[in-house]
Amino acid sequence: MSGFNRRKFLYSGLLGGLASPWLGPRLALAQPMADGESYEGVSDEEIVLGTSAAFSGPSQGLGIELYRGAQAYFTQINAEGGINGRRIVLKLYDDGYQPVPSVQNTMELLLRDRVFALFGYVGTPTVTRVLPILKKFQQENVYIFFPFTGAQPQREPPYGEFAFNLRASYLEETAGLVENFLSIGRRRIAVFYQADAYGRSGWAGVRAALGAYGERIVAEATYTRGAAFTSSMREQVAILRNGNPDAVICIGAYGACAAFLRDAVDGGIEAPIANLSFVGSENLLQLIIESVGESAPYTRWLVNSQVVPSYEDDSIPIVREYSALMRQNNPQVPEALRQPGYAPFERSFTSLEGFANAKMMAEILTRLGDSPNRARLEEAIFTVRDFDLGIGELISFSPERRQGMRRLYYTVVEQDRFVPLEDWQARFG
Amino acid sequence: MKMAGLDLTVQKLFRVPLFGIFLLFGIIAVSTSWVCIATVDSQLSEEYESNSAGIAQTIADASVDIILNRDLSALQSLIDQFLEIQGISYIYIADENGEFLAHTFVPGIPEEILASDPTNTETVERQLFGADTYVEVGSPILAGVAGAVHIGMDKSIITLKIQQAVGQQMYLISSIFLVGIIAAVALMNLAAKPVERLLGYAVQLARAEQEAGGAEQNPLLERDDEAGQLARLLLYFSKVSDPKKLGDDPYPEPS
Repeated sequence: MSGFNRRKFLYSGLLGGLASPWLGPRLALAQPMADGESYEGVSDEEIVLGTSAAFSGPSQGLGIELYRGAQAYFTQINAEGGINGRRIVLKLYDDGYQPVPSVQNTMELLLRDRVFALFGYVGTPTVTRVLPILKKFQQENVYIFFPFTGAQPQREPPYGEFAFNLRASYLEETAGLVENFLSIGRRRIAVFYQADAYGRSGWAGVRAALGAYGERIVAEATYTRGAAFTSSMREQVAILRNGNPDAVICIGAYGACAAFLRDAVDGGIEAPIANLSFVGSENLLQLIIESVGESAPYTRWLVNSQVVPSYEDDSIPIVREYSALMRQNNPQVPEALRQPGYAPFERSFTSLEGFANAKMMAEILTRLGDSPNRARLEEAIFTVRDFDLGIGELISFSPERRQGMRRLYYTVVEQDRFVPLEDWQARFG
Repeated sequence: MKMAGLDLTVQKLFRVPLFGIFLLFGIIAVSTSWVCIATVDSQLSEEYESNSAGIAQTIADASVDIILNRDLSALQSLIDQFLEIQGISYIYIADENGEFLAHTFVPGIPEEILASDPTNTETVERQLFGADTYVEVGSPILAGVAGAVHIGMDKSIITLKIQQAVGQQMYLISSIFLVGIIAAVALMNLAAKPVERLLGYAVQLARAEQEAGGAEQNPLLERDDEAGQLARLLLYFSKVSDPKKLGDDPYPEPS
């Protein structure tokens, strides 16, 4: 299977108050149901959600951190008795951030495991391939909740009706970056992007945002999905340098984007280098810090957009809750999915987003009442109006609004830590 | 067989036929390989072009709604799936104004393609990424008013398949050639042995070694083939040159 280690594992959340965060594989649930049974991932004891994400490969940090954040919240909910007496259980599969395994995992989750809903998927190239499956299963009311991607396919017809998003979109992220760069006179914008649906989504966002101001992308270069930090990005740097850019917007994952930042600075590009929230900011920064003696010359130009606030800002209620539960529960990826050599972060933007996703999911499940079933999912979601998640933005869902949040945050690196960017002109003007 | 410094190896007689056999096999190998190359090249090229044109048409048809909806990530996802088909090296889609909307190039769109007219859907051959040759087929989207899809096939796939086909053929011909040569040498040796003995006998007669009476005892004289007849003829000639030895019919009819 193309050098990628596909493993599966059923994670079971905490049984009220147990210190151990997970139970062993629950094989009974992995058995196909007999004909005529209407099992939909809900029993008297639990609600099973299905996840396919990158737990291995160059983007494993994204899947791991997103899961850890979500599990920190679900563990607490389960410890407090679950949702109307039912524990929330995540059934996990590793897709290595590759579309084909993601499709296979989804079929397993829907046909064999019969999960209640899909939750916590990672990546555009994976999710865009899964969406047609949801359309196929539309009679069974299968939805995907809060995927870790800001791409458009799950926000627009023909598949938008099968997905619910919490985070801002890439169109919004790229538009925000473009507007900020233009506001400080940096009009020549180049794009470095992953050669797939994710990269194209961000590229399209930059192109549209620039087009609104009568500007065009001055240079563009791509890299192959799965490129690691050890890859050389000198060719890409040379292509972008020909465009003499005032700023570069990167649409990629942390390994390739860190490699690009390294080679761009080494190659003499002296312009802000921006990344989208998907990049995995802490993973990127860690690669830079560990590989270069003095990180400041590299991080000096770095600016990342985020879809959640800084986890350092304890004035925000969800950040306090997140920080406390991450410390208390310190969730780890189940042993069967754990990769050697990866050390999780105590806190990260990705795990904070996972935490927010889990909190919103728990609220929706709560609104389903004592007898949760898929047919009533949409109805329950659309009762969410001006809901305060504690993140500083009220959240609403409706048939016309299937994305909960819109707010963006920008961060730069100071003393090897991400801090909010307060003044674009002062930093990059 | 060596005698008094003379090389009497009669295989020399067969060097020309042996060379002829080599030449014949060479001609067979070259001509069949040429036919094979021409056939495989032509058929595979036609097949790849036809398939690629079909795929380009499929993408063009499937792209219409996506392009009109401006969902370029879905468009990219679509072409990425087709890139998994063997032989297809790159795909790009340009709009009606020639702007590239989606492509599969890494690290960027080659200069030659940037300099071309992406609305033109004629089949062209391109040299890209150094020396690699690609055949590019195109298909218009909505009769060209929404752009065009282009698919590039790596010709090295065809070259590789030709090499495989010719290699297998050469392997077969070489095996036949080897068996043929071994058989030819064995048969030639079989034919050469009596001639070789005859030659030795002639030398023996010339040196009047028959005085010892050995010339009339040579087993060659017992043979009923051409070698036996020649031996007896040589004996007769040796006796003609010395009439007192003349006696029996020197060239009896074979029994």
